[in-house]
Amino acid sequence: MYRSRVATLGVAALVLAACGGNGAEVSQKKTELTLYNDKGAWTKYFDEMGALSKQRIGLGMKPTGYTDSAQYQAFIKASFRTNVKPDLFTWQTGGMLEEIVKQKQVADTTAVWQEAIKAGDLSQDLVPYYTVGGRQYCVPMNVAYWGMFYNKKIFDEHGLKPPQTWDDLVATAETLKRAGVKAFYHTSVLFSFVWFEQLMAGTDPDLYDRLSTGKAKYTDPGVVQVMERWKQLIDAGYFINPGDKTDPGDVLKTGKAAMVTFGTWFNTSMTTRSMKAGADYDFFVIPNVNPALPKTSMIFESGPLCSLTKAADPEAGMKYLKWWTTSEAQDKWATSRGDVSANPKVTIDDKALGTVTKDAGGGKYRLVNRYFEATPPPVLSAALDGFGKFVTEPGTYMEVLESIQKAADEYWSTHQ
Amino acid sequence: MIRRIVLVALGLVWLGPTYLLLVNASRPADTYDPASAWAPSGDFALLENFARAVEGANLAGSLASTALYSVVSPLLGVLAGALAGYVIVVLRLRHGFWWFLLIFGGTVFPSQMLLVPLFVGYSEAGLYDTRLGLILIYTAINAPLGAFVLRNFYAGVAFSIFEAARMDGASTWRVFWRIYLPMSLPALTAVFILEFTFIWNDLVFGLTLTQSEDVRPVMTALAGLMTDVYAGTPVPVGLAAGLVVSLPTVVLFLATQRLFARGLSLGSVQ
Amino acid sequence: MSRPPILGRFGHGYVAPAAVLVAVLLYAPFVWTAYLSLTRYDGLESPVWVGLANFVKLFDDDALLTSTRNTLIWVAGTMALPVGLGLLVAVLSYDLKGGAWYRVPFMLPYALSGAGLAMVWSPVLSHDGIANLLLGVDTAFLQEAPANTLAMLAVWTWQQLGVNTLLFVVGLQSIPREPIEAARLDGASGWRLFRHVTWPLMRPLTAVVVGLALVSSLKTFDIVWVLTQGGPGRNSETLAVTMYKETFVASDYGYGSAVAVLLTVVTGLASYLYLRRQVTAT
Repeated sequence: MYRSRVATLGVAALVLAACGGNGAEVSQKKTELTLYNDKGAWTKYFDEMGALSKQRIGLGMKPTGYTDSAQYQAFIKASFRTNVKPDLFTWQTGGMLEEIVKQKQVADTTAVWQEAIKAGDLSQDLVPYYTVGGRQYCVPMNVAYWGMFYNKKIFDEHGLKPPQTWDDLVATAETLKRAGVKAFYHTSVLFSFVWFEQLMAGTDPDLYDRLSTGKAKYTDPGVVQVMERWKQLIDAGYFINPGDKTDPGDVLKTGKAAMVTFGTWFNTSMTTRSMKAGADYDFFVIPNVNPALPKTSMIFESGPLCSLTKAADPEAGMKYLKWWTTSEAQDKWATSRGDVSANPKVTIDDKALGTVTKDAGGGKYRLVNRYFEATPPPVLSAALDGFGKFVTEPGTYMEVLESIQKAADEYWSTHQ
Repeated sequence: MIRRIVLVALGLVWLGPTYLLLVNASRPADTYDPASAWAPSGDFALLENFARAVEGANLAGSLASTALYSVVSPLLGVLAGALAGYVIVVLRLRHGFWWFLLIFGGTVFPSQMLLVPLFVGYSEAGLYDTRLGLILIYTAINAPLGAFVLRNFYAGVAFSIFEAARMDGASTWRVFWRIYLPMSLPALTAVFILEFTFIWNDLVFGLTLTQSEDVRPVMTALAGLMTDVYAGTPVPVGLAAGLVVSLPTVVLFLATQRLFARGLSLGSVQ
Repeated sequence: MSRPPILGRFGHGYVAPAAVLVAVLLYAPFVWTAYLSLTRYDGLESPVWVGLANFVKLFDDDALLTSTRNTLIWVAGTMALPVGLGLLVAVLSYDLKGGAWYRVPFMLPYALSGAGLAMVWSPVLSHDGIANLLLGVDTAFLQEAPANTLAMLAVWTWQQLGVNTLLFVVGLQSIPREPIEAARLDGASGWRLFRHVTWPLMRPLTAVVVGLALVSSLKTFDIVWVLTQGGPGRNSETLAVTMYKETFVASDYGYGSAVAVLLTVVTGLASYLYLRRQVTAT
């Protein structure tokens, strides 16, 4: 009997201990903000930023990371209806941003943008991505330019140089193939859209833009041709198996494929694998498929950092966003991850990435919004599945386009 | 003898992937090559890899909370379940089958769909980001399992045991606490192991219902490293993180082994 | 079953803790999902009532056919492999001297979390991975249906077998010794002893393992999500993955909830039919 009483008491004590959790904040003036994000793996970098901001503007920041972006977005949307409101949160540009701005809860950052542009901390080029109904919302949490990472040693071994034209690129792939090396990486899971957007943007960027706003159809001849070109490349044997579960960082490092196309953030995968830029790997801008286009199309990705008007301390949130755009903050943010920055004043250590960022800021490229942000969620969901099927069975491209168009028809019939 | 051979052969098959896990989690992060993932590495870098995975993260508070959830919730869940099982089978509660069905019904809902309503409810009830909130939901998820296992376990116990105890003047509660509960120790432990592992490895509820570092379960801090392509985590680092956080569960398995050895059957308790 | 209750009305105090927790934290949230299944909702604007439109759409959705087929493969496969093999390991080891140690290799994988699981298996299942090397075939295991579902089932078996074994062992231990020894004296042994004496006696715990496996296999989600996300081209989706994708990835909460309701009804019905037979018999 004695023993069982002790056990009961023990459980009771544990339960009591459990009640001591942190409840919702009551105070209005905050000295530490919570930053909700779907980049759970960046917690370390966010923490460093929090320490820096505390020191510089007296406002700390703690990240709350999620790992599944779909679940994260559902959570943020739901929080609009509750009293648990994030001080700061990451989001997506495009339709997703428009959607939440319509809820009239996202804080207007027009003033921050104007000031930052005047100070040279943000580039005018980014404004369209952050504009809804003539006003700006959120600030860039990160930016990324998409291009080709390549294994320098393999290129050197076969006497290859970064291609200047699309034909060069195909010739490079052919040379590698003859030497028994797979040229390109692709995958059927999640990032299945990468080659589609690249080929579309390099062939007809206007059509790409019309596609994402529902003004063109996936079954239009221009889109079909792009799929046929993609199929040719796959049929020619330039790609690794799309079902390969190997981490793309390891694919490039071990030379399983000589080239991997990703955003500049992929540089982190290289540095965490102790690869040296310029010696082990390098980066080039993918040439247009259609040489007649006036500018080289470059896929561009930017993730917003937002605050809410009804958060516990909206002023602190705005103060933080403002600080975030400064070169002091951005220097730290970019260098710690080995990535590029939205702030043109930040010097990028990596030579190739630095050049790309500078050129992009100088208007050398036609920036094309990444497919993931440019496409409304129901269409995107159908497209990711469709392209996943296509890379596995390239013969099904018409069927795939039709199934994506079916989702697009359904979506655009109720939106605009 | 044949039995031992079959067991050893199957066991070796099972150890294959476990071997891969051990070898690659201990490999220096820079030398990983999927093509030779099966080859052992000369250097032992498990701790280095793990240190790299948790670099800068403050896991102490998170670990303590996770331990609290994984111990308290299964205890409460098993106890609530055992009580229900006992009253339904041994005390023959009226409409017992329907009560049982009601409790077991808690397992049929797909948990992903509970997240948003739970979050909204929790934020209104002030349970969001509290340890109590997590303990409650984990206990609710665990109770049906406990009820099912214990209900069926008690169904196999001879009713004469109950009658004899009652004859000696014990109350129904005392019969439960002093006879039925101790008798079902292996079953309780099996359920506890199941539930402990579930909570220890849970990601979805921990992510959605908490926010601050001290309340969030430890898995939420590590899962991103293993799945997020933006992280660029080398495979050995991710594996080391996965391996080290599963150690408590493994220790629990090994520590409870003797409960499942032949000889500790019902007969010996009587 | 016809004997009168012992505690009468007071007995409800014993079921209350479990019943209340389950009702408040699991049933109540699901009511919201059931309501959403009758609406059009994107998670932001107010839900718009659409009646049974989402359920009508269910019958016209090819992807749902695939998910249903895959889910059935998961149910059948789970019964055969994690449960069937789990029983085998339990029966072979439970009365061996040091039998618990033979079970250790099967328990270890259970400790590993989902994300870790995908990382461990990716070099095995890659198209030029270890499994191809061992089996001498050149297929990408996670590409073609239904082979990819079977490959994931193998991974699942690796992880789940141990816990089923553990429950079976508990069942075997709880068998009273007298009937077994009596049968032994009558000359029964090996398969005959198991089939006619042991198996019927361990039935209560077998019902638990099968019942739990039935429910969890109908709801299969995690393993598919970490390994293929239901692809390529939706060919390895299960009902739970379809539900998740429609709700959270495509932000079509109404339709996703309709899939959830369908899944819940099927799971509830299957467990009711199974439990009614198994549980009332014990």
